[in-house]
Amino acid sequence: MMSETVPRPAPHTRRRMSDESFITLLVAGVAVGLFLFASLMVPNFFQVQNMINLVTNNWAVISLGIGVTFLLVSGNFDLSVGGIVALSGVLSVWFAQAAGDGNPLSVGLGLPYPLALACALAGAMAIGALNALFVVRFGIPSIIVTLGTMMVARGIAQVITHGSQRNTNLPPEFGYLGNLSMFGTSVKFAVVLMAVLLLVAVFIEKRMVFGRITYWIGTNPVAATLSGIDRGWHITKLYLFSSAIAGIVGILLASEFKSGYSNRGTLMEFDALVIALLGGVAIAGGFGSVIGMFFGAIILAVVTSAATGLVLSPDWQYILKAIAVFLAIVAQTWALARRNR
Amino acid sequence: MQETPILDSDGAAPVLRVDSLTRDYPGVRAVDTVSFDIAPGTVHCLVGENGAGKSTLVKMLTGALEPTSGTMQVLGRDYAPANPQEARDGGLATLFQELHVVEELTVQENLTLGMEQSRFGFLVSSDLDRRVVETLKAIEPSIDPKARVSALSVAQKQIVEIARAASSGASIIIMDEPTAALSEREVERLFGVIRRLKASGVTVIYISHKLDEIFQLGDMVTVLRDGKHIATQPLSEVDGRSELIEMMIGRTVFQTYEPRTAVTDEVMLSAEGLSNRLLKDVSFAIRKGEIVGFYGLIGAGKTEIARAIFGADRVSGEIRFKGAPVAASPKKALAAGIALVPEERRTQGLFTSLSIRENIPVMNLRNMSEAGLYRSGLERDAADDYVRRLNIATSSIDKHTEKLSGGNQQKVVFAKCLFSEADLLLLDEPTRGVDVGAKTEIYDIIRDLADAGKAVAVFSSELEEVLGICDRVFLLFDGAVQEEITNGPDVDIAHILNVVTGGQGAVQ
Repeated sequence: MMSETVPRPAPHTRRRMSDESFITLLVAGVAVGLFLFASLMVPNFFQVQNMINLVTNNWAVISLGIGVTFLLVSGNFDLSVGGIVALSGVLSVWFAQAAGDGNPLSVGLGLPYPLALACALAGAMAIGALNALFVVRFGIPSIIVTLGTMMVARGIAQVITHGSQRNTNLPPEFGYLGNLSMFGTSVKFAVVLMAVLLLVAVFIEKRMVFGRITYWIGTNPVAATLSGIDRGWHITKLYLFSSAIAGIVGILLASEFKSGYSNRGTLMEFDALVIALLGGVAIAGGFGSVIGMFFGAIILAVVTSAATGLVLSPDWQYILKAIAVFLAIVAQTWALARRNR
Repeated sequence: MQETPILDSDGAAPVLRVDSLTRDYPGVRAVDTVSFDIAPGTVHCLVGENGAGKSTLVKMLTGALEPTSGTMQVLGRDYAPANPQEARDGGLATLFQELHVVEELTVQENLTLGMEQSRFGFLVSSDLDRRVVETLKAIEPSIDPKARVSALSVAQKQIVEIARAASSGASIIIMDEPTAALSEREVERLFGVIRRLKASGVTVIYISHKLDEIFQLGDMVTVLRDGKHIATQPLSEVDGRSELIEMMIGRTVFQTYEPRTAVTDEVMLSAEGLSNRLLKDVSFAIRKGEIVGFYGLIGAGKTEIARAIFGADRVSGEIRFKGAPVAASPKKALAAGIALVPEERRTQGLFTSLSIRENIPVMNLRNMSEAGLYRSGLERDAADDYVRRLNIATSSIDKHTEKLSGGNQQKVVFAKCLFSEADLLLLDEPTRGVDVGAKTEIYDIIRDLADAGKAVAVFSSELEEVLGICDRVFLLFDGAVQEEITNGPDVDIAHILNVVTGGQGAVQ
């Protein structure tokens, strides 16, 4: 039916950059601009090591941002990822701690280490399944559902740790993954994993049917359903992936610190949301990209690290985040409106 | 039952005078120098086929549209509302098909909405509250003013809106198809309300496709046809449904239908006893190569049948496609070879913030994926191909569909369905809001599809459309198939209109 010799549209229709590429470039430009500006203002800011640190220090939030971005594009929130980070970390410790008698915080289930990790990951994905159940099956707005499961996840972690932390009686290999350096450098395994996840996510987003379906659902959920897309199942998969990433992040952090701490990952869900919005992801769904989210994270990191390194005390970081978010969203709205005028 | 209408000749000044009102759209005159008077305290009915100009006229009355020329007067004063708010201030309230009540508030709070009185920022009860409660009691005593609106039925919510209009001092209330969603008992109750309103001096402009209602309720009737005023006269002087129908259709010449040769005997889809909230025991068959029409007015069940076949709504009964039962989900219907062009193009059919190119592949994901990879080359080729084949007017396949005209948007929705390579196409109002040129092109596309061996079902509320292209037509009224007709030169249009407006021959 589709012949080989389909004529291209007339030559005067120069192909225009998509809005999405435009916004992504804008965000990347702002990130680079801010970095150069900070380099002028802050002594010793312009260093290769500092550039690397901007990324590596934020591996956890960027990783969480991948799942959060996909869900936002589909028109759904995921505020549960911070809670899941705490839960999976605590679970991995509790499952791996040796069984027996003694101080309740020192006694775990004594599972073999790999099994403990697998079970912790399963626990994290159970929260994702819960999100999907309420959002898809019962049609409850995702912001409410994931606000609830955020507290469920952290609440379970709190009960298991008695509001404190578990860090004794662990097998020796427990701290291995979180402190593993790769390629003979100081780059951690977690950072490499983040990079791999980013690449895979960009590939899925741009080159796979799965990514396309996410955009269709986010742009018009009703039309997507009437076009034969199984919206519920797709959103279920997105929540499961997002919770799996959060579970892995939690396990790696627990390994790095050799402890399960119920307050770990506090406010990470908001940071993940903020970097996605900074990166041009539309809060109403249907628009945005993982690359944009990555540069959003860089913007946030430059702003907070430069300013707090120079003039302001670290107490100002929330104010700075707030200003960055407002400016970014106003700038995007303005730029898109101007472009499409 | 019929009160004697107060006519101009009796000396009563009209409450509303419409004088040479005209409204042009690009290429079409929707309302053409229409003049008539409405006497106070009457129920004045407005009838006409789809496209006769009723809704355009109502939009001008309510300030939603500006007339191209002509004037209106309310109670002798010039009336030219620039927006719906000014229309309300001028004493003209409208009861739309979509209700504008706040579900979370009580009945009384809804009635005083926007008119609350406060002292130091605190709400105080006032005469207003007493007045609205009295108004409500007068027109419908059974509704508790303290009840939460979300707990009311659709009919009761409607009455709350009518009470709000009445208590805000409206002298004219326009009701646009108010009974479309009501049960028979609720309709009776609404009629009671309308009669009490009339007794209190309010004028009601009543628009309905159901002619029986008009004879039951109306004092006067104004007939529009093709944007022109045909008649305004007392209903007591109209000789039954047939005369009214005759006035509505006149000697309309329909596009001549040519019998098609591609129709086969092979049944593609059969439906037995479909029933749900609205449908009542609907059965039919659609054959390969055939264009079948489902014709009925608003609320007759057209969209419900289309959605039931496509698995978008729950339905009891049996649907078999190519001999096998169809699973009830759009995904499975599509996989089996059924595609739907939905009723609402912008909200249900298109991804308006995406380009033409990104819209077309969505219903054919099987072919868009090669080992999970998205075939963007095929996407471009398909877009180029369909832009050419369906003659979609655009500067580029990368253009956002929200920037296309209605007709071109509809062609993109068609392209989506055609690309799915479905064998049965369900087209719900395929040419609604589409200009005449695109309409003809869409009809040609539909004929080509059927000639190529597909089966097409057209669900439409435009008689001209179904008689122009369909081989067979099912006439629907009140959720049931009333009659099946074979299209041809001797089709009795008056009979069809009689059946779909609930007249004789209709199974109630």
